[in-house]
Amino acid sequence: MSTEDYDYLFKIVLIGNAGVGKTCLVRRFTQGLFPPGQGATIGVDFMIKTVEIKGEKVKLQIWDTAGQERFRSITQSYYRSANALILTYDITCEDSFCCLPEWLREIEQYANNQVVTILVGNKIDLADKREVVRQRAEEFADTQSMLYLETSAKESDNVEKLFLDLACELIREAKQNTLDNSENSPMPGEGKSISYLSCCSLN
Amino acid sequence: MSDLGIVCKHTNVSALNEETIEDLTELEDLEEVYLQLCNEQKQVQAYLQVLGDQQGTIENKMQLLQRMRPKLQLIEGDASQLGGMINFTCSLAENVSSKVRQLDLTKKRLYQAIQRADDILDLKFCTDGVQTALQSHDYEQAAAHIHRYLSLDQSVIELSRQGGESSSVETSLALLKEAEVQLKALVTKRLEEAVAADDLAQVERFFKILPLLGLHDKGLALFANYLSNQLASKAQDNLMLAITSDIGERRAPMIFVDTLTLLLEGIARVIETHQPIVETYYGPGRMHRLLSHLQAECDKQAQSVVDKFIQNRDYQIKFQVVQASMLKGVSTEKIVLRELDAVLSEVTLMNSRSELYLRFLRRRMLADFEVADATTADSVSQEHLQDVECLLKECELSRRMQELIGCYIPMEEYYMRETVNKAVTMDNWEVGQMTSSMVDDVFYIVKKCIGRALSSNSSDCACAMINLATNLLENDFREVLVSRLQVGYPSSTLADLQRGVSSAVILMQSSLQHGKIHTHIESQEQAKNAYLVTLNNVDVCSENISTLKKNLESDYSKLLNQGAGSEHAQAKIDSCLMDMVHTSSKFKDLLQEGLLELNNSAIKSQVKPWITNFLSFSHNIEEEEFGEYEANDPWVQQLIVQLEQLMAEFKDSLSLAIFDALTSLMMNFISMEMEKTVFKCTFSRLGGLQFDKELRSLVAYLSSVTSWTIRDKFSRLTQMATILNLEKVLEILDYWGPNSAPLTWRLTPAEVRQVLSLRVDFRSEDIKRLRL
Repeated sequence: MSTEDYDYLFKIVLIGNAGVGKTCLVRRFTQGLFPPGQGATIGVDFMIKTVEIKGEKVKLQIWDTAGQERFRSITQSYYRSANALILTYDITCEDSFCCLPEWLREIEQYANNQVVTILVGNKIDLADKREVVRQRAEEFADTQSMLYLETSAKESDNVEKLFLDLACELIREAKQNTLDNSENSPMPGEGKSISYLSCCSLN
Repeated sequence: MSDLGIVCKHTNVSALNEETIEDLTELEDLEEVYLQLCNEQKQVQAYLQVLGDQQGTIENKMQLLQRMRPKLQLIEGDASQLGGMINFTCSLAENVSSKVRQLDLTKKRLYQAIQRADDILDLKFCTDGVQTALQSHDYEQAAAHIHRYLSLDQSVIELSRQGGESSSVETSLALLKEAEVQLKALVTKRLEEAVAADDLAQVERFFKILPLLGLHDKGLALFANYLSNQLASKAQDNLMLAITSDIGERRAPMIFVDTLTLLLEGIARVIETHQPIVETYYGPGRMHRLLSHLQAECDKQAQSVVDKFIQNRDYQIKFQVVQASMLKGVSTEKIVLRELDAVLSEVTLMNSRSELYLRFLRRRMLADFEVADATTADSVSQEHLQDVECLLKECELSRRMQELIGCYIPMEEYYMRETVNKAVTMDNWEVGQMTSSMVDDVFYIVKKCIGRALSSNSSDCACAMINLATNLLENDFREVLVSRLQVGYPSSTLADLQRGVSSAVILMQSSLQHGKIHTHIESQEQAKNAYLVTLNNVDVCSENISTLKKNLESDYSKLLNQGAGSEHAQAKIDSCLMDMVHTSSKFKDLLQEGLLELNNSAIKSQVKPWITNFLSFSHNIEEEEFGEYEANDPWVQQLIVQLEQLMAEFKDSLSLAIFDALTSLMMNFISMEMEKTVFKCTFSRLGGLQFDKELRSLVAYLSSVTSWTIRDKFSRLTQMATILNLEKVLEILDYWGPNSAPLTWRLTPAEVRQVLSLRVDFRSEDIKRLRL
């Protein structure tokens, strides 16, 4: 892995109800396309895009999951190893917004607790059909201490920003983590602090 | 001509001279000029001679030219005549070609007229033919006539109607139209009847007629109806047979796989048999339509198989129990794992069959469209491709299978977790073995579960199980090993034993107490073994994960070679397998932590006093004591024996790699501790020699027990011994700086001074004065 040409590798998983535009967001970002009449995703789709942020190469592994209920057990298996989750809903569909607490429960249950979650309201190009006002979504994201962004995969609004902001945040956290670890790591030969002992003493 | 030029020049020169000649007064000058003029005259004469010679040839040429004059006049006449002829030919050609054009046009019109006449004749012929054919129930013939009529140019028919003999054509057309409608209705009806009557010969007969009447879709729909009926009755029979079959039968646990296989294979066979007919009579590009109709029936039949499977195997109930137990953490209702095992195998095989079938459909339809779309635009073939994907993705068979797999994954995870838990609780270690039983068991289970997911032929299902298995190994199972290591390695054997023995004297008063000591020692022994076995387990786990990853990669590529999955699916699987590398390294980290802990609790505490013991024997010694030490080694031999005993304990219980790593840690500690101790000591010249001897023995022993070179670890100590062994302070300069030659100093100048000051006989002023 170390021979590959990147500084960071992050796994990003998109989740949310069926038909909110997860696949379109990924396609727009990775291929610059907006495929009309996109069929429902089967299982899980997988794309890679490498971006450069402040001179560092960041490889983003993007897992686009099916929103339909019958694929839930497949998609859930990806939560644990995800560095970031993009929880998507459709601003023109009240239902998709109402399901968010349910999705958060899933995240709570399956994802690791360091995961970065961002809430995305998609389809802002359909402003006249909007059912969820921006303020409501912002307040909801606030209570869950999530970032919030509104996008349009069709008009390419905020799509690039979504993924790049996320990558920046992940780099920041990764740097924080290595800093913490280097403080804790035992000096060779000394071996005074053993990390599993310290983490288990919390239990 | 050049000769002429020269002559002119000379005459000019002499002309110029003419004035100067008059001015000449000296005889010599005159003579010179005279000579010069004579020369010029000679040259002019010679030139005139040449010109005279040329006169003859020039005259000859002039005569020749005189003779050619009449011939040139002749040529001029010929040329003007030729010009006239060409003009004439040109206008003639133009004349002819315009006539040819006219002829062409006339010919074309003539052909059109003949065609129209033919068409009209055909129309009449068709009209009569259809009537007679219909009367004699010769539908093939009638359809052929209608087909002829339909393939006529509609505009021609329109024109005919406007022509003079409109009335007769009009009636023919009306008759034909009427016959067409009549025939369409009739043939459709007959085909419907044949389908209802299950009459293959009649079905095929009318099926072939319909495309002649332009009723392709209708024909395919009705034919698919017929085939569906055939399939339905067979499928129902098979399902009935399956449900009523004896539970004791060998294939009983796979009966629903078998039923589904029969259904799908049946359909595939029907497609294979009837594809040629469709292609011959309906042309290419029609399979999609036919298969769409057939898929409806397939969906219906597959659904009833799946429904019966769910009902018969309590699939939904099992799933709910699993879900409940996963949520609560404790299972209220236990599922018999053996039963679950069988059902899980059955589900994955069902999915595998369905994937195989869908792949067959895709191949057939794509090949068919490829022939049909060879000449059409890209957008059309793109649309056809989408049609195919849409049919396969959204058919009920796919949906039901996806639902089954959706339930299968948590159930397989549950099965994996439960069996792994069982293997952990039943963990067993036998003396003489490096690892305990659970490592092999756990990896057998994980491999089996992922292998089963792979056999479903669904890459998403396989990826999900790889994710879940990685998670189980990295978190839950690793946690088991962590908690075992957390118990720690009971510190001390010998020290404790010694303490035990000494205190035993006091405790001897009560025999009961003595028994306690005995069990104490025994349980300590167990705890030690447990710790060492766990270390081995961790190491083997890390290796096993790497092996598992490699095996799964090759298993999957084998599947891929059989045509399953795509490159995209391969990328997904690879990416999921990549996480296993991370997991493997996490086990390696755990091993390192465990080794450090072992080094801390079992080695450092023991070795430290042995090394400190160095201080109890003075190294500030004279000949007599040196001799005594030689006869009766005070320290190093005992240290070696003690180290040997200590390491023997680990040598047999740890795998070679771990033992080596542990030895390496121990050596680091020994060299560090020795250094500290030496700095606390003082040395005489002989004491320095004694230390040098001791260090040599120690290094020689340690080298003998390891497979790598350890000199490097002891180079600082060796250099210290060299310094302590010097005759005089200044001798250090023989080894230092430019004289160090092969020696790389690991000691700083300050340290060298510090070591020198350990020698009681070296004066501190000398040491201070040293320039290092």
